[in-house]
Amino acid sequence: MVYIPPPHLASASRPSYAEAYNDILVSHRRSPQTSASSVILLVAPDVDALCAAKMLADMLQQDDVMHRIIPVSGIAELERMRDELMSYAELHTLMLINMGAILDLPSVEWFGEFSTKLSVHVVDSTRPQNLSSLFGGGENGDRIIVWDDGRAENMQEERKAWEALAYEPEPDSDEDASDDDSEEDKEGEQESDEELGSSPSGKRRMLDNGGREGKRRKLNDEVSRMSRDQRDAYSMRLEQHYVSGTSYGQSASATIYILATVLERVDNDLLWLAILGLTFQYTTSRVSRTDYDKFHSVYYDEVFRLNPRPDANLNPDNISASSPDDLSVRATEELRFMLFRHWTLYDAMYHSSYVAGKLGIWKDRGRKRLTGLLAKMGFSIPQTQQPYTHMDLDLKHQLRSKLDAIAPEYGLVELAYPSFARCYGYRAPPLSAADAVEAAGALLDVAGGVRMELEVEGSRHGGEWFGGGKMWGGGRSEEDRERKNMMRGVNAVDAKRPAEAEDNDEGKEGPEKNEVQWWVKNFWAAYDALSDITLLREALSLSMSLHRAIIRQGSSIIDKQDIRTMRSHRVVVLTQGPDLALFAHPGVLSRLAMWLVEALRDRLPGTAIAKPGRGGRGKKSLPFVVACLDEQAGTYIVVGVMGALDFGDVRKNEFGLAFLDAKERCNARTRHGSFDTSVLEINQEDLKLFLETLCEVGEGY
Amino acid sequence: MALPVSIRASVTPLELELIASETLVDIVPLISMEKTAFISGAYGPLRPPVKSRIPLWMATNLKLKKKCHIVPPDWLNIEFLQERLTHETSYPAFSDLPFRFAEIAKVILDVASDDLQNPDKIRSLLKDLREARQAKSREGLQKLDHSELSLPNLCSMEINEIRPFFIQAMSVLTKLVREPTAGP
Repeated sequence: MVYIPPPHLASASRPSYAEAYNDILVSHRRSPQTSASSVILLVAPDVDALCAAKMLADMLQQDDVMHRIIPVSGIAELERMRDELMSYAELHTLMLINMGAILDLPSVEWFGEFSTKLSVHVVDSTRPQNLSSLFGGGENGDRIIVWDDGRAENMQEERKAWEALAYEPEPDSDEDASDDDSEEDKEGEQESDEELGSSPSGKRRMLDNGGREGKRRKLNDEVSRMSRDQRDAYSMRLEQHYVSGTSYGQSASATIYILATVLERVDNDLLWLAILGLTFQYTTSRVSRTDYDKFHSVYYDEVFRLNPRPDANLNPDNISASSPDDLSVRATEELRFMLFRHWTLYDAMYHSSYVAGKLGIWKDRGRKRLTGLLAKMGFSIPQTQQPYTHMDLDLKHQLRSKLDAIAPEYGLVELAYPSFARCYGYRAPPLSAADAVEAAGALLDVAGGVRMELEVEGSRHGGEWFGGGKMWGGGRSEEDRERKNMMRGVNAVDAKRPAEAEDNDEGKEGPEKNEVQWWVKNFWAAYDALSDITLLREALSLSMSLHRAIIRQGSSIIDKQDIRTMRSHRVVVLTQGPDLALFAHPGVLSRLAMWLVEALRDRLPGTAIAKPGRGGRGKKSLPFVVACLDEQAGTYIVVGVMGALDFGDVRKNEFGLAFLDAKERCNARTRHGSFDTSVLEINQEDLKLFLETLCEVGEGY
Repeated sequence: MALPVSIRASVTPLELELIASETLVDIVPLISMEKTAFISGAYGPLRPPVKSRIPLWMATNLKLKKKCHIVPPDWLNIEFLQERLTHETSYPAFSDLPFRFAEIAKVILDVASDDLQNPDKIRSLLKDLREARQAKSREGLQKLDHSELSLPNLCSMEINEIRPFFIQAMSVLTKLVREPTAGP
C-alpha cells in the first residue's frame, strides 16, 4: 500500500516507476523458481488496458522476462482468479491493469494472506483510489504498489484523516478501539455508502472503551472528547473522497509510456499504443477535453521527435506512406464523424452521436436536414452515398473548410479535434487513432458471443443498406469453424441420430463454456489485431454494424418516447427488439447509454443529483439509466451514465454508490459483472422495485 | 519425411539461412555486455558506442530486443549492387558476389531495415540480380555433361536451387556415357 509518484515528482528517497520496474526485473532474475507464472498481468477488458498490457508485454519480452497475460472481466472473476493464484508458488509479481484501485488490497480478503515475496503493482486509471491501498504501510502493506499520476500528492488531508482513523493516538486504551475502528474503517471503505452509519457507532464504542479503563478514564474522556470533533471531521473527509463519484485519471497506457520514457526505450510502437489509450478515454467520454489536450500536446511533441518530417501537413487526406517500410505516426485533425473514412459520408454523419443530436436524425425531418447540410456544402447526393474512398478528390479536400463554414448554421461547432494517424507502408492505407480505437473496442465487445451481420462493400449500389450481408466469423478460432463444418458434414451424410445427439450435447455445453470464455476470446482477438493491421481493418466493418445496431435501437427509443423521467434521472428499459441479445452485453449497453446522452444533450433539461450528506445540489448533468433484458439468464443488465451538459466535459459518475444504496434498501438480488461500479446485473423480478428505490436515493437521507 | 519430394535431396532455404547466420557482422551495441562464452565462440565485450563484431544470429536477437544497431556489410548498399547488376547484364559470366549474399541480405532487411539506406531500392536491386543470374544459370545448365559443370561465382542459394536437378541429370548422363562402352 504504497503509492509511487510519477518520475517528475520522484527523488532519491522516493522511488518511481523505473525503480518499480527494475525491481520486477531483479526479482525475476534472482528467484530460483522462475517460470512463466512468475510475472502475471491481470488485464481489464477495455482498450486502454489492452494497450498498456501490450506495451508492458513488449518491454518485458525485450528484457527476457517470462510473463503471462490473463484477461479478467469483473470483480467476481478477480476473486476467482485470486483464489487460484494462492496456489502458485513461483508467483512473485502481479500487475493489475485498470482494475483494483477501489479495492482494499492489503486486507485479508484480497492479498493480505499472500506470501511476503509477492508484490502487487496497480496501474489503474479509475478514481477514487482506495486509501488503505495508497497510504497504509507496514510489512503487509508495502507489497502493494500503486502507480500514481501525481494526484495523490494533493491528498494530504485524506491521508491525515485516514491515518487518524486507522491508528489511534493513544496506545493502550485503544487496543480494542483501534481494532474495532480499523475494522469499521475497512468495512466502511468497501461499502462507502454506509460511512455515515459506521462513524457514529464507532464513536460510541470508543467512548465506551474509554469508560471501561478505570485509571485513565478521565484522561481518556478528555482525549476522546477532544478528538470527537476531529473524528467527525476526518470521517467527513474520507466520505467526501469516496462519495463524490467515479472518474478517470491518467490512462494506464500513459503511465507505461512514461515508464518507457524514463527507461529511454520509447519507439513508434509504444507511442502509437499510448495514443490509442488516450483516444479511447476521450472518445468514450471518460476524460474531458482539457485533459485530452494536455496529454495530446505531450504526444504531439513525441511524434515529432520520433518521426521527423520535412513538411508538416495537417490535411488528413494527404497522408500517405512514403515508402513500403514507412510505419510512422503523423499528427492530423480528426472529425467527429464515426469512422468517416471507411463509410459513406452520409452514413458517417448519420451515425455520429453529436450530429445525431443536433439535427435530430431519428426523424425523417432530421435526415432531410442532413442531406440539406451536405447539399449546401456542395456535395451531391450520389457523392455522399459513395464510400468515402471513392469520393471525388477535390470534394475531400474541401470537406474540412466547407464544414467550418457551413456547419455552424446548423449548430454543429467544434467538429474537429487534433489526433494522430499511422502509416503502414504499402500494406494498408493509413489508419487514424479514433478508427483504430473503434475497431479494437468492437472486437472486445462483440468479436464472439453474438452474431453480427456485416455489410459487404460495394453491394449497396448507393442508397441505404437493408441487410443481407455476410456474417462475422472472426471471433471464432479455426478449430471451432472446422469442427462445425465437420458436424455439418456428418449430419448430411449418414447416421443422423448420433450426430444430432452430439450436436445437442455441444449445444448445451456450448453456451456454458462460451459464456465463460467469450470475453477471453474477444480479448485475444483484439490483442492480435493491435499488432496486425489486416485484422484491425477487418474489424472496422464489425464496428460499423455495431454502430448501426446502436442507432437503430436509439432511434426507436427516442421515437417511441420510451424514456421515463424520474425525479433525478431518466430511465429506459429495453424488453424487446431485434438486437436484444446484442444489448445484453454491458459494453454495448454502455455505448447505447452514451449515445443517448449525446443525442439528447440539447433537447432535455439537465437535472442535478442531490449529493447525500451535503446540503445543496451538485452540478447539473444528464443522468441516464438504461436497462436491458437478458432473456437467457433471466436478468436485466443496468447501466448508469452521467452525461455532462457541456460537450467535451465529463462528470463524476455517482451511479456506483446510488446503485449500491438502492440495492441495500430493496434487497434486490444483484451481481456486479464488470469493474465499472455503474454496471449491474439484477434479477428480473427485482427490477421494478430497484428502479423505484433508485429515485428515492437522489433525495438524500 | 514431411518435406516435398523436390527438396528432399537438398538443403531448405531456412537451413541455409541458419548456416549463413554464423557470419560475423558489425554492430553498434546499445547495452554493455562482458565477454561471454557461447557454443561457437566467445564474443564481446560490448561497450557502447564502440562497434564490435558478433555473429549475425546474435545481432538479430539483440536487434529484435532493440539493444543494438546493425552496421550493414560493405557490399549491402546501392552503389555496389548497382555496379554488380550492370556487370551482370553486360557480361555472360556471373559477377562476383559474396557467397551467402542472399541469406544475409534477407535477414538484415527483415530485422534491421531501418539501419539501411534506402531499403526498398536495395530490395529491387536484389530482385533484379536474382533474375539476371537465374537466366544465366538456366543457360549454363545446357552445358551440363556427365563429368563436370562449371559455373563460377554461383552463390549458395542458387547452387541449392539447381542441385537436385543436376545431381539426377549427371547420374543419368553417367549411365548413358558408360552404356555405349559396355555394349557388345
